[in-house]
Amino acid sequence: MNRKIWMSVSLLVVMSLVLAACGTPATEAPPAPAATEAPAVAPTSEAPAPAMDVPLRWRTRPDNQEEIDVYSQISDQLDDQLEGITLTYEPGGTEGTNYQEQLRAEVAAGTAPDVFWIPGTDVADFGTRGLILNFADLASATDGFDAAAFYPGPMFHLSYNPETGASGADSGALWGLPRDVSTFALYLNLDLIEEAGAPDPRELAQEGKWDWDAFLDVAQKTRALGSDIYGYGASAWWGPYGVWLNAAGGGFFTPERDACALSTPESLAGLDFQRSLYQDFDVATPYGEDPEPPFRAGKVAMFQNGRWATPGVRTVTFNWDVVELPKGPQGTMGNWLFWGAYVINAKTEHPAEAWQLVQALTTAQTQGQVAALGANIPSRVSQEAFDAFLTFTPPANNQAFLNGLADNPATEGPLWAGSWPEYDKIMGPAIQAVLTGGLTVEEFGATICDQANKVFTQ
Amino acid sequence: MDAHLPADSRTIAILRTSILWRSAFSVLAAAGVAALWMGVLPALPLWQKLLVSLLLAAASVLSGLAAFDLRSRRHRGRLLSLVLDYLSFVVCFVTLLNTGEVFIGIDNLADVFGGGIPYLGLALGGYLLGTLGDRFSQSPRMEIRLQQVSRYLILAGVVLFLWKVNVLGGLMHFALKAAQPTGLVALAGTVLFALAIWGMWREGTANALQAKVHHEQLLSGWLFLSPNLLGFLVFFAGPLLLSFYFSFTNSDAFNPPDWIGLENYAKILNIRFVLLSSPDQLAREVVDITIFDEVGRLRIGNGGLLFAAADKFFWLALRNTLTYALFAVPLSVIPALFLANILNSRLPGMKFFRAVYFIPSIAAIVGISLVWQWLYNATIGYINYFITLGVEGINTLFQAGLIDPKIRWVSDERTALLSVIIIAAWQTMGFNTVLFLAGLQNIPGELYEAATVDGAGPWAKFRRITIPMLAPSTFYVVSTTTIQAMQVFEQVFILMNPAEGPNNSTITLVLYLYRSGFINFKQGYASAIAWVLFIVIFGLTLIQFQRQRRSSIYEA
Repeated sequence: MNRKIWMSVSLLVVMSLVLAACGTPATEAPPAPAATEAPAVAPTSEAPAPAMDVPLRWRTRPDNQEEIDVYSQISDQLDDQLEGITLTYEPGGTEGTNYQEQLRAEVAAGTAPDVFWIPGTDVADFGTRGLILNFADLASATDGFDAAAFYPGPMFHLSYNPETGASGADSGALWGLPRDVSTFALYLNLDLIEEAGAPDPRELAQEGKWDWDAFLDVAQKTRALGSDIYGYGASAWWGPYGVWLNAAGGGFFTPERDACALSTPESLAGLDFQRSLYQDFDVATPYGEDPEPPFRAGKVAMFQNGRWATPGVRTVTFNWDVVELPKGPQGTMGNWLFWGAYVINAKTEHPAEAWQLVQALTTAQTQGQVAALGANIPSRVSQEAFDAFLTFTPPANNQAFLNGLADNPATEGPLWAGSWPEYDKIMGPAIQAVLTGGLTVEEFGATICDQANKVFTQ
Repeated sequence: MDAHLPADSRTIAILRTSILWRSAFSVLAAAGVAALWMGVLPALPLWQKLLVSLLLAAASVLSGLAAFDLRSRRHRGRLLSLVLDYLSFVVCFVTLLNTGEVFIGIDNLADVFGGGIPYLGLALGGYLLGTLGDRFSQSPRMEIRLQQVSRYLILAGVVLFLWKVNVLGGLMHFALKAAQPTGLVALAGTVLFALAIWGMWREGTANALQAKVHHEQLLSGWLFLSPNLLGFLVFFAGPLLLSFYFSFTNSDAFNPPDWIGLENYAKILNIRFVLLSSPDQLAREVVDITIFDEVGRLRIGNGGLLFAAADKFFWLALRNTLTYALFAVPLSVIPALFLANILNSRLPGMKFFRAVYFIPSIAAIVGISLVWQWLYNATIGYINYFITLGVEGINTLFQAGLIDPKIRWVSDERTALLSVIIIAAWQTMGFNTVLFLAGLQNIPGELYEAATVDGAGPWAKFRRITIPMLAPSTFYVVSTTTIQAMQVFEQVFILMNPAEGPNNSTITLVLYLYRSGFINFKQGYASAIAWVLFIVIFGLTLIQFQRQRRSSIYEA
């Protein structure tokens, strides 16, 4: 008997599981509002449809569980606030799990969320491929919406119209709203700096003496503490090496962003200084290896990273703080204004509701909640936001990030006239070859733009 | 089955209906083809239109043929009907499930499944109680009582489990989603085709159509094969052919692709070899740099030879992949052969070591790569730590004055690929060892005994008996390891930052394929790379086959 019963039960369970798989998520939609409630939209002459909540899914790329918790909490709050909308928050993969590639594939398959976050560099690719919605019409029909409330750098790209080349409020394009901004600073191991007898970079910065020479001096003094102690560490992606090029007056692209500028004398000078940190002065952790573990182990004096690294650094046991990047020969730090944006899936069935959600996700209040975690800076330009940001300590010297933002940083931006991923894949390995001694700066300069310019013609 | 009884009235009615059904099916399928080319579903890409037309046309012809056969009471009509109805049933059923969002609901099930596990445990407990009842055969009352309790427990467990995983919600959701034109048509199709299958399968129909035993065996065989066969066709052969088609298009995965012929292949194979007047002459002086990039150069006296390609990265990837295979294959095969010989001995603890060496090959590759990333870390990694300790120890003991190399394993272009090779060899060696071990245990002991009598030493036995007798195992191991090596991806992708490594020293063909297809979204081009890689692997495997045939002692 047992075999028969067991077979029947197993079959029943399997069939039921298949059917249960059709089940709605655990967070069930709340019951429809009572018929006596006022409708959310103006009534039409036709009989009103039964009031059903519109389900919206949204996604970000959190770096850790704390961020997931904050975004989940925000989702719950907005779920209560936004009438007629039921929200489901989906934490995306972390940076190492190809968040954007997965999103593109999901958009192609029609399973991507209604609203999602993407980094600023990817806006052009998503926009020109038709993966995200141009919601300029929705924005212009919204009372009280003011694009000028956000940093102008990100808004330039978010309102760029690739068909006309225009940007701004009247360009006819709006691809998203910035979630947050960030910029680089140097995370300091104050114990190492004190032990080495090096000057305090924060004091040098206050005195206006924090430049490349002073930076090298601190790096060399701390490096002299031992063969396993390093003066400086930075990760291997375009952000960290870009600042040296920017600070020397160079950059990745021409001002029009339609041709390679990596081989200009200024760019090569910046690259050469960075190369010297690795090759000539040997003050930096090996390029291409994650500098965060040695920094957290107390073996790196100055660790270049963005605001997003703050939650992780808060767990170290030594004395630490931050200082802005040193000023280069052009008198600027060459810092970046990093940003990412909430965008709307081009295939969403509910664009109006998605636009409501994007606005709700970028209010000062919501941004304040995220910024309180310490990982980023609100994308709205307001003294109130700055004042609040300064209270999110440690680090004590939060002003360093604001100084970075005030120093006319280069805006992280997409390539409307070419393919950023392809450009990055040509530039990154070649720069890494220079910084690890496999290629001279001259060799790099002689050939890099021959290769890189091809991405603009495609 | 062979005794052909006269058909009863019910069977005759079923056969008549089936003839009508087959004729209607044939006409509808033909109409479907016509409708497709008359503008129905205009958004359908050309390749999908062609594929669907081909399938519908084949179904129409075969269904017409089946109708004709059924009318003539030929068994072929039954076979064709069953095949067509079975395939149509599967299509309708899958469409129904898809319309009811069963497949994307798997995530929802995953969310709630955990909560139901205790109740499944209850059902399992009930089952175990029932099996316990079987032990009381001398006490029937006890046996019956235990089995009754068992049934109730199982029932309660299953009901509670289904309640906990929200089966009612699932059913409601399924019904709501499926209650739309597509779902309803699919439901009707599922029922109709199921009835048609039943009509043809039943014994009366089989007899009326002169079914033989071998016909029934044939049908049963194909039926049992069908899940695997359909899976192979849909999830392997289909995508394979599709990628072949895409390789002739500019597909980007988002928009309908355009046919561009051999353009993708032409770009991959567009290369130039140019003599240089001096070893340092710039590429732009000898090739059109708007098309070509320098891949490498060879110094020849006061001049040189420049190798340029329209797709530099493909050739760099091919070079790296071949270099990787050239080192990774011997390093994971030769040590495995010796290790297998050691583990084949009857020394104590050999079983333990067999397991130990096998562990890396079953460990998750991502985890392994992350662990190695830490080991390789030039600043705080254990490998450099032990090298430093060794150097300091030697210097202290012997005043040797050695310099600590401080190897930058993954960040130096000279050692980056080597780092990946070491991981691959370490990981694959254990699996190869097991394969060799199996081969060793198949070598007859008499051969060794005879060799011992003839005075052969261990090395002679190894060279003259073990190696030749292991030829089939060696061939298998080398072939599979080579194929695996040519497809290297995960280790590089996880270990390196960026994955291409310094100066593209670790870009491999599959990594480049991935980058082209899923980062740059040039899926047509990525498909062409995949087919070129297939040709390279196929060529290498063919060479190995031919060499094996020539050298195999079994062939001799």
